[in-house]
Amino acid sequence: MKSIQQRLSLGLISILLIVGLLVAQSSLWLFDRSLRSYLQTTLQDEAQTLLSAFVRGPNGLQLDERRLSAAFKRPYSGLYFRIDFADQTWRSRSLWDRDLPRAPQAGLQAELGDGPQGQQWLILRADYQRFGQQIEIQVARDYTPVLKSFRQVQNLVAGLGLAALVLILLLQRVIVRRALRPLEATRQQINQLQQGQRTQLDQNVPLELEPLVAQINRLLHHTEETLKRSRNALGNLGHALKTPLAVLLSLARRDELQQFPDLHDSLNQQLQQIEQRIARELGRAKLAGDVLPGAHFDCVNELPGLFATLAMIHGRHLQLDWQAPPELRLPWDREDLLELLGNLLDNACKWADSRVQLHISVTEQGYELCIDDDGPGIAAQLRDEVLSRGSRLDEQVAGHGLGLGIVRDIVDAWQGTLQLSDSVLGGLRVQISLPAKRA
Amino acid sequence: MRLLLVEDHVPLADELLAGLSRQGYAVDWLADGRDAAYQGATEPYDLIILDLGLPGKPGLDVLQEWRAGGLSTPVLILTARGSWAERIEGLKAGADDYLTKPFHPEELQLRIQSLLRRAHGLANQPQLEAAGLQLDESRQSVTSKGQEVQLTAAEFRLLRYFMLHPGQLLSKSHLAEHLYDGETERDSNVLEVHVNHLRRKLGREIIETRRGQGYRFSGAHA
Repeated sequence: MKSIQQRLSLGLISILLIVGLLVAQSSLWLFDRSLRSYLQTTLQDEAQTLLSAFVRGPNGLQLDERRLSAAFKRPYSGLYFRIDFADQTWRSRSLWDRDLPRAPQAGLQAELGDGPQGQQWLILRADYQRFGQQIEIQVARDYTPVLKSFRQVQNLVAGLGLAALVLILLLQRVIVRRALRPLEATRQQINQLQQGQRTQLDQNVPLELEPLVAQINRLLHHTEETLKRSRNALGNLGHALKTPLAVLLSLARRDELQQFPDLHDSLNQQLQQIEQRIARELGRAKLAGDVLPGAHFDCVNELPGLFATLAMIHGRHLQLDWQAPPELRLPWDREDLLELLGNLLDNACKWADSRVQLHISVTEQGYELCIDDDGPGIAAQLRDEVLSRGSRLDEQVAGHGLGLGIVRDIVDAWQGTLQLSDSVLGGLRVQISLPAKRA
Repeated sequence: MRLLLVEDHVPLADELLAGLSRQGYAVDWLADGRDAAYQGATEPYDLIILDLGLPGKPGLDVLQEWRAGGLSTPVLILTARGSWAERIEGLKAGADDYLTKPFHPEELQLRIQSLLRRAHGLANQPQLEAAGLQLDESRQSVTSKGQEVQLTAAEFRLLRYFMLHPGQLLSKSHLAEHLYDGETERDSNVLEVHVNHLRRKLGREIIETRRGQGYRFSGAHA
């Protein structure tokens, strides 16, 4: 998509060029025409003067030299005549060795004739009936000075026009940039929205942008509401399913059933499958994933609560630490991230001897979350198996692995990667790389 | 040990009541959040098991009310809402532990035991140990000087209470309040009989009588 600025500039340039050329050219043409028609009258006057210079001499008709303008006598002066009558042709002295060709019809000639020394002639032919004879008088005048000044004017206008064009473009750029400033502000806000630095767009925008911003805000609100509603509904569904399940699990332990070990075992197995299925699917359905652009996780606010919870669950013999850049906000949903970190840290706490560490850092590609423990770790050749175990539900074994199912779902939804490696603390390191969201 | 169970799902409450009674707990059961908020704050419970989805008043509000009123009884939250965000909320409201449904009855048992031990400053013990005695809560027996002694349910309940409060002077009415649920007739003579049985099994010196004041558990080595 081209930028609006570019489009406006391009449009403006083409309009200005077309209109400017049209106006300049047509005004030159009009000026030329009016000048020619003015020169036509002077040429007609010249022809009249020539006609009136006809006198009857001893050898018949001749021109009275005294009546002729001096310009006709000076060679290449720029003013010429040619008179044809009977079978005679008279030429002005100014023509010198050039010929003024006979014009095909009377009146001002549309075409300019070629003259000596690069002159261009404006030629008029006038026909008269005098002394009982047909007399054709052609008068020519050099038109080059006019053409030259035309060209000068043309150059001047072109230069001025170009300067004006540049000036207009610069002004237009400034104006457009000013007019588009709110758009830029909104763009930045959308960027911040992606980064999780704000949850709403500023409503204080120009009239043209208002519907767009309002619509985006409404959409955000709607998405958030929908998510909240569906999470609530899922919570209710979970409650409705899990409570009876708890009853069934308790019933399955009854002494009466212990007498039928087969029945007891398969009952337990099925119940366990239901339990796992419900937990996994409800967990998956609850994920916000990437739908909520305004979502964010404020490390400093959320992590202490999470760690206090872990400390309470796992007792006080564990040393739990977390490290994150100050005021770091991760651009993902709070509940999703808590679920991710909670599950991983809970696992780490289960296996650790004395220490569990969470380290969050910002990298060039995005963010990196590292969870370290000083427990037994997992042998390198078994890590792939552990990771893949979470991928298919029916392969999951209760109590085995790391309960990585929901963690994998979350990381996948965020297009991140999950890696297991040796920890500096001696146990397992779970490393999650999450790509930064593009604006 | 006297427990309050707040759970609105009747079949589950029935199961839990049966299970907990088998383990020697005196349990009062309530299903409504408003009743729980009142009774939990007024009766001397040793532990409260609280469901979060309650009619009348949400469990979290009940818990917050208790904590705001200065109630320090350990509270175990029992809920189907198992997300970490909700767990954190629950513990922030003042819960001491969090168990998500569905759960195995044994899991609940272990959590209650460890929570009670923790509440009495006896954390990180696989078995309840006090003053030279080791109590096996699953088998309801006690090991004294390397010898295992079988206990009746009533004796077990009494000894467990003593072992969680070693060295403390406990009046008969206090013991009755914590060993029987709200509906049982409290007869201090019965208590005397059980104390005597314990002395016969574990030695005279184990429980000291302070006339007019009550009993004091001093243990086998005293």
